[in-house]
Amino acid sequence: MIRRRALFGTIGLTLLVSVSVLIAKAAPQSAAGITDVDPHKAFGSKNAPVIMEVFSDYQCPSCKALFLNTNRQLMDNYVTTGKVYLVHRDFPLAMHAYSRIAARYARAAALLGKTEPVEQAIYQNQERWEQSGDVDGTVAAVLSPAEMNKVRALVKGGTLEPLIDKDYAVGQMYRVNQTPTTVFHCKGQTYPYSGAMSYDILKQFLEQLLSQK
Amino acid sequence: MESSPFNLRRAIIWIGRLVPRPPLGVALSFFAMQVDSYQLLPPWGVNFVAHTLPFAEIALGLLLLIGWRLRIWATVVTLIMLGFFAAVVRSYALGLQINCGCFANPEPLTIKTIYRDGALAALGLLMTIFAFIEARKSHPWSGAEKASP
Repeated sequence: MIRRRALFGTIGLTLLVSVSVLIAKAAPQSAAGITDVDPHKAFGSKNAPVIMEVFSDYQCPSCKALFLNTNRQLMDNYVTTGKVYLVHRDFPLAMHAYSRIAARYARAAALLGKTEPVEQAIYQNQERWEQSGDVDGTVAAVLSPAEMNKVRALVKGGTLEPLIDKDYAVGQMYRVNQTPTTVFHCKGQTYPYSGAMSYDILKQFLEQLLSQK
Repeated sequence: MESSPFNLRRAIIWIGRLVPRPPLGVALSFFAMQVDSYQLLPPWGVNFVAHTLPFAEIALGLLLLIGWRLRIWATVVTLIMLGFFAAVVRSYALGLQINCGCFANPEPLTIKTIYRDGALAALGLLMTIFAFIEARKSHPWSGAEKASP
């Protein structure tokens, strides 16, 4: 009888510990300020109460979903209103053949102030260029010939590669191993989250962060 | 009466203060994002699960520990664990790039997660089976009453 009770107790305790940890608070990690921000790939006010670092790969379908379904509303309602500082980080995964090339083009376009139309084109045509590898043609479709020449020069110049590597290194510091991964910073705490997000649920979380005293 | 130098209640409160944690509302809405990442429920369902499951789990854990109505609560816990297991297997099979959301630290959903959640579900099942076997046997006290004249 005692042995059975001990068995129940052990099993019950194991389950209790497991489920208790499940509801444990979102792990706050070291709250160091964000570093190595490329101003061409960051949006909103630097003094915003919430900082979102989004690590993404242009060839990843979930990154596409995040960009197309959530990004516009996030920009309109939180970034342009000064509530969120959005930092885009390149995190091209080795398993994707053309994601680093796409990152180069997007970064070159960002230097010309053409981030949005180029990212839009890259994500919307993801299935097409990931088959053909024709990132150049995809970007050329939304830029003028003069702009495209500048973009090509920047891509070939090799100056963008260290910037992409720097973002990747920041991701490794956060132990990012999948995309998209978003790291939220607020009030000295850090909340890493992986996967696409629906805007309504993200909005709730941001409102909770912003309502903290 | 002198107070004990080791006050358990005070110790628990101080340990709680030492652990950095976000407010409950932030933690629950962050948990809602993790529930949402499984892409199984509509927004109202995500909110319902995220705001009730953690408290239900604590209550169920305590009920298991005290052993009251063990068969009922063990069955409920096992069903929940099997539900978690099914959700994790589905997400892995679909190749969703998400965090498990199972524990406090962010961890990618891998085959290891499936083995671990499977083992936990098996433990729950084992506990339920034992609870039913135990309930079939006569209580030792009732046996003692019969023996007495």
